[in-house]
Amino acid sequence: MEIGYYPGCSLKQSSALYDLQSRMVFSLLGVELKEIGDWNCCGATSAGKVNDFLAVAMPARNIGIAEAAGFDEVVIPCSACYSRTLVAQKRLEENPGLRTEINSELKRKVKNGLKISSILEVFMDRIDAGAMKEKAVKKFRGLKPVCYYGCMQTRFPYTVPVPDNVENPQGMETVLASVGVKALDWNCKTWCCGASAAVNDADTAFSLMAKIMKEALQRGANCFVVTCPMCQLNLDAHQDSFCEKYGIEERLPVYFITEVVGAALGFAPEILQADRHFIDGTTLLKELEEHEQK
Amino acid sequence: MTESAIEFSPERTTPFLQEVMERSGQMLTACYQCRRCAAGCTVGDETGCFTPNLLIRTVMLGDRETALSNPLVWKCVSCYTCGTRCPNDIQTARITETLKKMAKEEHVEPMMPKVKEFHDAFVESGVRWGRVNEVEFMGIYESKAALREAKVKNYDAIVEEIKAQARLGLTMFKKKRMHTGFLMASGRREIKALYKKAQEMTTIDQ
Repeated sequence: MEIGYYPGCSLKQSSALYDLQSRMVFSLLGVELKEIGDWNCCGATSAGKVNDFLAVAMPARNIGIAEAAGFDEVVIPCSACYSRTLVAQKRLEENPGLRTEINSELKRKVKNGLKISSILEVFMDRIDAGAMKEKAVKKFRGLKPVCYYGCMQTRFPYTVPVPDNVENPQGMETVLASVGVKALDWNCKTWCCGASAAVNDADTAFSLMAKIMKEALQRGANCFVVTCPMCQLNLDAHQDSFCEKYGIEERLPVYFITEVVGAALGFAPEILQADRHFIDGTTLLKELEEHEQK
Repeated sequence: MTESAIEFSPERTTPFLQEVMERSGQMLTACYQCRRCAAGCTVGDETGCFTPNLLIRTVMLGDRETALSNPLVWKCVSCYTCGTRCPNDIQTARITETLKKMAKEEHVEPMMPKVKEFHDAFVESGVRWGRVNEVEFMGIYESKAALREAKVKNYDAIVEEIKAQARLGLTMFKKKRMHTGFLMASGRREIKALYKKAQEMTTIDQ
């Protein structure tokens, strides 16, 4: 089976490991991710703060490209790209005038009917198809992750159909359970990491991330699992800084969902490029694997 | 007769309220100050009690100056918690986004210039190449900030900022998280044409 794939700028740069893991993991599960041609930046959260027309126009071009290529479904692993594209599609549907304006500049016009899926929705389909259970070969019973969704996975600036519970989502927990990993319950699933504030207002972002970190530690977590490359980079790259500022001694690796699923499917941490974390991600996976073999 | 605590003149208030409502697409007048937004505000600890409900009331009272320059408008991280919980579906993050744009159009000095510089740099980079190149984008952002500090001869701030970013950059490089190649979409002409159209339509946000 093939589905369209929009990686976005992060997955081609600082979060290239997420791109690689997504392709590998889904390929093993029987889904080939076909990157759509000549895609452009979705505008992320910045476009909406600079110009609203542009915030719809940028994802619109990608929707047009995916539709013209004949895809029924396109998966967007990055939570921000997913949110912006889903919102743009909704606004184009509701506002024919806006759609005509934007389409007039596009070589491949937006039609309709493209299904825009988050990475969790594609995993859910694989669970339903029985592929996850069948392919899960390694056990990580000592892994105690807290699933961190952040903002963009469940909360949207416009009313769009949300495929999960807004305040207490279960998507990641369900995906992990399907490969035998039991996630912990906690309070900060949908709290905000500060996103770009880590760059332009570090005091605010560090205070937000320290609260999230403290709650994860109190629950006894030994790692975070995320879908959003922005959340991943923030909690990982700034962890030493915000922990030092707030007197937190422990450190926790921040895994992409594809990394933990990938490990359970039998990929070695090096193959998953788990060594590209700021907070060591390979040691925990290897220790747990050895522990299972004893 | 006691003096009124707040001054309210409908003639002055209505046009501003109408403009914010139209551009943000949010029905501010539906707010009955239940403060669910305030209870859940992500940056509540950082904004000195300037909560979303207070911003809505400020706009309704026509206090343009405060509405365009307050901690919430500039510290809001667009997490959309307030809007998700609002019983009347008012998305205050859309209001803060609108007020940021209005402040820019009216040449109001942003309370947090780095926030404006960040988003401007991101969009510039995305429109120029069709894709955002993280290294180039951070370069544009840092130059904007450095230029502003240089104007007021605040050279220490420039040095501190460069030091902090260099530290992060070096770690990213070591962890192979810094991308050295260049991203580009050949359809960037379409994006540029749309951007031009967008600039002509600045006042029609919805």
